[in-house]
Parts: sequence; C-alpha cells; structure tokens
Amino acid sequence: MDEAIQSEQQQHLTLVIRKACFGLPTACPSCLPVYIYLKFANVPFDLSYNLTFPDSDHFLSIESTKDKEKLLLLSTSVNFCDVSLDLQHLCSLADQIPYVDTDTYVAYNNEKGGVIESLKEDNIVNLDAGVQNLPEWVSTMAMINSWLSDAILYELWVGSDGSSAHKIYYSDLPWPVGKLLYLKQVHNVKQLLGISKETAERREEEIYRRATMAYQALSTKLGEESFFSDNRQVPTCYIFLPTSLDAFFLGHALITLYALPETSVLRGKLLEQANLVKYADKLKAEFLDAGSSSPDPSSSSVPRRGPSNWGKFRVPVTNCSKPKGQPKRERTQEEKSFRRKAKYFLVTQMVAVLVFLSLLGGSDDTEVDADGDDGFDYDG
Amino acid sequence: MVEKEDPISEVAEDEEDYDEDEDEEEEEPPVTSQSRMRNDRERMEGLLRRMSSERVPLRVHDVIIKGNNKTKESLIEAEVQALKTVTSMQELLQAATIANARLQKLAIFDSVTVTLDSGPPDLPGTSNVIVEVVESKNRVTGDIGIFTKPEARSWSLESSLKLKNMLGHGDIWDGSLSYGWDQTSEISTGVALPRFMKLVNPVTARVSLLSQDWLKFSSYKEQALGLSLGLLSTRNHDLAYNLSWRTLTDPSQMACKSVRSQLGHNLLSHLKYTFKIDKRNSPLRPTRGFAFVSTSQLGGIFPDYRSVRFIRQEFDLRYALPLGFARAAINFGVAGGVIFPWGGGFVNTPVSLPDRFFLGGNSSPVCSLGGPTSLLGFKTRGLGPSEPRREVGEKAGDAGFDPSSERDFLGGDLAVTAFADLSFDLPLKVLRDSNIHGHAFACAGSLVKLTENSFRDLSFQKYRDSFRRSAGFGLIVPTKLFRMEVNYCYILRQHEHDRAKTGVQFSFSSPL
Repeated sequence: MDEAIQSEQQQHLTLVIRKACFGLPTACPSCLPVYIYLKFANVPFDLSYNLTFPDSDHFLSIESTKDKEKLLLLSTSVNFCDVSLDLQHLCSLADQIPYVDTDTYVAYNNEKGGVIESLKEDNIVNLDAGVQNLPEWVSTMAMINSWLSDAILYELWVGSDGSSAHKIYYSDLPWPVGKLLYLKQVHNVKQLLGISKETAERREEEIYRRATMAYQALSTKLGEESFFSDNRQVPTCYIFLPTSLDAFFLGHALITLYALPETSVLRGKLLEQANLVKYADKLKAEFLDAGSSSPDPSSSSVPRRGPSNWGKFRVPVTNCSKPKGQPKRERTQEEKSFRRKAKYFLVTQMVAVLVFLSLLGGSDDTEVDADGDDGFDYDG
Repeated sequence: MVEKEDPISEVAEDEEDYDEDEDEEEEEPPVTSQSRMRNDRERMEGLLRRMSSERVPLRVHDVIIKGNNKTKESLIEAEVQALKTVTSMQELLQAATIANARLQKLAIFDSVTVTLDSGPPDLPGTSNVIVEVVESKNRVTGDIGIFTKPEARSWSLESSLKLKNMLGHGDIWDGSLSYGWDQTSEISTGVALPRFMKLVNPVTARVSLLSQDWLKFSSYKEQALGLSLGLLSTRNHDLAYNLSWRTLTDPSQMACKSVRSQLGHNLLSHLKYTFKIDKRNSPLRPTRGFAFVSTSQLGGIFPDYRSVRFIRQEFDLRYALPLGFARAAINFGVAGGVIFPWGGGFVNTPVSLPDRFFLGGNSSPVCSLGGPTSLLGFKTRGLGPSEPRREVGEKAGDAGFDPSSERDFLGGDLAVTAFADLSFDLPLKVLRDSNIHGHAFACAGSLVKLTENSFRDLSFQKYRDSFRRSAGFGLIVPTKLFRMEVNYCYILRQHEHDRAKTGVQFSFSSPL
C-alpha cells in the first residue's frame, strides 16, 4: 500500500479539543477521553484548541413529552444494547467539540454516537473489537457514561464554586461573554439534572451515592490489573489492553483528581479507592506526561492490535447523517433544467408587470441638483 | 451681506409692529384702513430698501417660548441660542430661519412659528422673538417600507414603531423589525437624543439583535447582540462606537476547516469613523459630480485583551462625466479596502470571518457607495479565497456535480474593485419619461488574503493575476417600489472556483 501517503494522512489527523489546564492536555470531560483514546491507540495526531465555543452543545429541554420521545429515538441510535441511557450522556453527545478532522473529513462528537464511535465505524481506530459486545463491558461503560458523567457535571457546575468550570471553558473569552455563558450553563445543568430548590438536596445525595457505588464497583473490577478489560481475542491467554472504557474512566478520574478543588466531595470519594487513583496516576505518567501528541509508532509500549487498522488508515468519505434536516435529494439534470426555465419564466412575468406599472404610474425623477447649497446641519 | 432668500413658509415675520427709529415722530393723521395699509406697505418697502443697502443694527431682547407643554424649555432654548447673539436685522432674519429649521428637524412638533416682535418701548433697537410650537398630538407613529441601511449589503423590508418626545428632551424612541434580501433579520430598539447633557451634537443609541444566515455561501450563521452609540453625525462626518457579542455557529456541520476554527463567541468593540462627501447630482443616476467615502474602523478598544482586534480601512471614489447628449454620462469608480489584526502575534492571527471583505452580488456598483462590495456577474460571496467543505457521500463522480458549490468562501483581507459605466437615455419617449435607461459597464475586482503569513507568497504578478473581470450591458427600470436592473453580463476572467455566470441577471435595490 502507499504507506508514505497513508503516513502523511495520519499526520494530518487533527484533534480539536478545549484548552489545556490543571496539568492535563484538556480538562473538558467530553474531550479528554478522546485524547486518551488516541494515545492508547498510538495514532499520531496534531492537537488544536478551540477556545471560543464552550457551548457547542445543545442541551435538550425535556419539558415536553415530545422532547422525551425525541430522546428515546436518539437513544436507540446509540450502539449500547438494552441499556437506557441517562439523559446527560445523550445531551453530551450533542456537543460538537471535541472533533477529529483532516481537511475534508470530520468526526464530530454529536454524530454517530461520539467521536470514538465514529473512529470505529470509519475504520480509523478501534480498540474495542474484542469486547464491545460483552454485556459486562457494555454495562460498565453505561455506568461510567451515566452515573459518573452526572457526577462530574454536577460537581463542575453546581457542587463547587465554579472556578474549575470557568477556567476550563471561559478563561479565553472576554469577561462579559464568559460570565453570561457560565450563568446560562449553570441554569441548563440544573434543568438537565432535575435540580430545583425542592429537589436539590435529594438529587445531590443521589448523585454522590451513585458515584460512590460506581467507584466501588470499578475498584473491584480493576483489582490490580493495568486495564479494565481482558482481550478475549486471544482466547488462550488473557491480555489486559486498553479499551474505550479505560479512556472514558481515565478521563473522568483525571479531571476529578486534578481539576476539581481539594474540597470537592466527589474527589474525596474517588480518593477512597486507592487502586483507582494508582491506575489514574500510572496511566497519566505513561501516556499523557511522556512524549508529544504525535508519538513515534515504533516506540509505543502498547502492542499494535489488528482491529485498530491504523496502519491502513485512509480518510473515509462516509454517509454521516446531518443532525438536523432531511438528506438532500439529488436532482437530475432534467429537474435542474426545468427549475431554471421556471425561474426565468416567473422572472420575466414579474419584469413585465413592473414595467407596466412603471409606465402606467411613472416614476419620480430622483435627480437633485446639488450646487453646493449647504443645508442646515449642526456644523453651522 | 444680506441674503435675499425666500423665507421658509412657516416663518411668520410680523414687521408691522417694528419701529426702528425712536426719534421718528409719529405724525399719522387719522386715516382710513386703506391709507393705513398703504402706509404700512410704504414702510415695509422702505425697510427692505434699507436692509438691502445697509446693515440695520438690531439686537434681541428676549426669546419667548410658547406651546411647549411636555418639551423641556432648555431643549428649545438650545436650538434657538443663535438668536440671542444677533447684531443686525439681516442676521436676525437668517438666524430665525435657521432656528425654525432646527426645531422642525427635531421631528417632535407639528408646527413651528417664529415671530419677530418689537422690543420694549424703552429699549430702542431691540426685538423680541416669539417661538411658538405645537407639539405632536400623536406621539406614536408606525412605518413600514423598503430601505437601504448603510451597513446592509442590499435592501431590506423594515417595519418600525416610533415614540416621540416621551421624556420631553426631544427623545425619539423606536423599535424596528427588518428582514433583508440576503437572509438577514434584525430586531432592534433605539433612542435618538438631540442634546445629551452638554453635548452639542445629537447622540443616538441602539440595541440590536442581528441574525445573518451565510450557510449557503460560507457554512456559518452569525448572531450578534450589539449596542451602537452614534457619537457624531454631520453631513460629512460620522463617528460611532459599537459593542457586539457575536456568535458564529454551523448547524449544518458542513463547514470547511478554516470556518470550523472560527466558530464560537467573540466580543467586538470598535470605533468607526466615516467621512463622506457626495457632490453628484443624483445617487441613483449620476451624470456629473464626484463622491468620496472613507471608512476607518479600529477594533479592540476594550479593557479585555481577548476582544477582537483589527484595523480596517476602506475607501470609495466616484466620478461622473457628462457626455452632453441623451443624458449620457460615464461613471468611473474605484474602491479598496484592507484589514489586518493587531496585538501580539498578529502576523499569524487570522482576521475574524465576519469582518473580512467579501465581493460579489448583483447590486449596482453605481448606486452602492461605501467600499468594495459588488462585482457584476459574480454571485454573492462568489470570489476570493475558498476552501472545500466537509465531504459527505460519494459526490465527486456524479453528473452535474458542481465543485464550486461545495466550497466555503472565506473572504479576504485586501479588496479592490473598479468599474466604468456608460448610461444613456433610450430613443423611445415613453421610456425616457419613465426614466428607464440603458447602460453598458465593465468591472474588475480582486480579493486576496494577507494574514497568517499569506502576504509573503503574494507577488505583484500574482496579485495582478488575481483580478477578475466582467463586462456587459443592460436596462435600468426605476419604479416606486424597486429599482430594477436587467443586465447581460459576460465574464471575461474568473478563477477556477469562482461562482460566476455569463448570462442575464436581475438585481433589485431600494428606490432611494
């Protein structure tokens, strides 16, 4: 194959995320898992930051039954079998950022179930080939992307003083814009999580309880292993390799440990699980702190996996559906010609009517002699 | 010198009571009304003869204002201030005419009457001025029409509601809703104050929410919530400050790479100064005269360094040369503009997308005065730097696939346009009477990028090659509602991805 061309295409893969802060390449909960996933896969990519679009998501208002029906339809398009997703995850899928792009190919986060799913579907990189149909793996993913996502969302926007969220999303926007967007987002998050004056305490207790249960379950599942999943692709031996589950949880853990303030309740709960903290620190040192964003594939410590196919990376042109509107219908040459002729006919008729009206009514001569006659103005 | 000009009809000058010469003995014997009228006429004629031959000294003793129930007296006094400093009859007449016009211009009175009366008998050579105003009974007015706004690239349908003189300071409040031909919609509210605190010039303030849909051309939509302050507005000079919160989004998710990188929010804070002089005899069909407009914008004057920073300068020069037959004239025009960012790292910083120059569209270059915008034959935003959009589906092999429709036009940092237009009356009298006339034209334009180090690759040869050209002829039909042009345009030179078409084109603009 033309490996030189493919190699060139690989280098032109760009990941666009939110800014780096708190010692992390990005502290945005939507963006960091994608970054980690590409690092796990050892895919070379360039990094670019979008500093001006913190609200590239479109939180859905769930006030009406019609919106709830929309959400159910949306949930069926996501490839998680028999799992009813939490609303927050559905709404985080509506966030355009992060996205992976080259010149004409883009994998947005709000299409096809997210950037990672798009990369899998477009055969760019797939770390989940051996595990993505396993019920246990799927339910663990669902737990991370619902309970833990809710928890980090709550902690960033409601549970803390908001300084972390401000630094992650608004520190590069002018103050009035950042402030107003922050207030709008706090309101949106409260609406999304069902937090009101009456339910605030109950919801907070529920969110933290679920987060604690999730941490305990994950701690038990991880044990002393390096990653959460074993690779069943090689049935004779169990090799623990990173999957997107690791990417999502590691992203969550790093933001909880490094971006949230020390007084954070969620952070305290995670610190109680020593093996999870050790897991996060170890992987951060190995994948995030060491090397640039485009590592040399030959020096990767993660063995190359067949299903990832990154060696055969080709920018795909796929039929990704637009999030809004109907697909554009291809017009035949005859239709185009007919439309053109119809347009000319209508315009000619209109011109004739206007000319008739003009000749009938006349028009005022708008010529005005300006002989330098100064009118009255405020200079006088 | 006294200017013998016809007084404005609303000025009522009561000369009958004027008695200039205190020493003149009144030795009028008892006379009939006819002889009194004859005497008055003789006195008036004598006064006018005197005024035309010599300076008649006079000063104003008092200015009496009547009829203002709601309007603050200070506002009216400020507008008639010049009356108090006159030193002659001639100056008084002129100042009274000007004062009347200024009060009329406030647009809050139904009528204004300035009466010159004699001063106190014990103060010779003085006059009292009585300013009588009738405030508008109906302070709320509505309006709907088709307008061309200075910032708009084309005409718009606008409806507005005005509330006059609510606070008594001559304030005019208005709310308006407009929809433009180029998918622009705006809702705004504003206030105009003729006198704000101690400022002599009127001040206007406007809050607006503007929405523009450029998805078809550049794959983005723009929304701007803005506050505009008009600081100075005279015949030739205009100074305004604008603070806008601007958001660019791409709901279609088809944008090219450069547009994707610009999506999001930014804050625009800029001062805009416009100098305009228009000595042409008509803005729509000039046959003699010249016009010049220069617009300078300085963006980034805000305490926060993260606001959009740029310097933008554009100019437009026109000249109309009459040919002496069939009301024919040649109009020449050249316009140019440049924009570049400032601040740290400005060499590598791109200019914000909505602030760049865009060329194209069918608006007449003769009528649109205000910088490089139109190039006949090229579609709106139809030339200049462009990038391919996101690829979706296998379209390249389809029959009838138009590659240029899959590109986003990004505008440029340096724009130049030039045109020559020959207009002439048509032989038929019925067409001449309706002001329907013909024209032949030739246009040229260029739009290039300078920022992000692109200027290093720009040589003189390359810049010369970047000019597009078109020529054609057509018919102009002015009606009461529209000004319509039907042109046949031939593209002489275009670049590979330009959206241009040789053929018949229609364009519509405001009748004014």
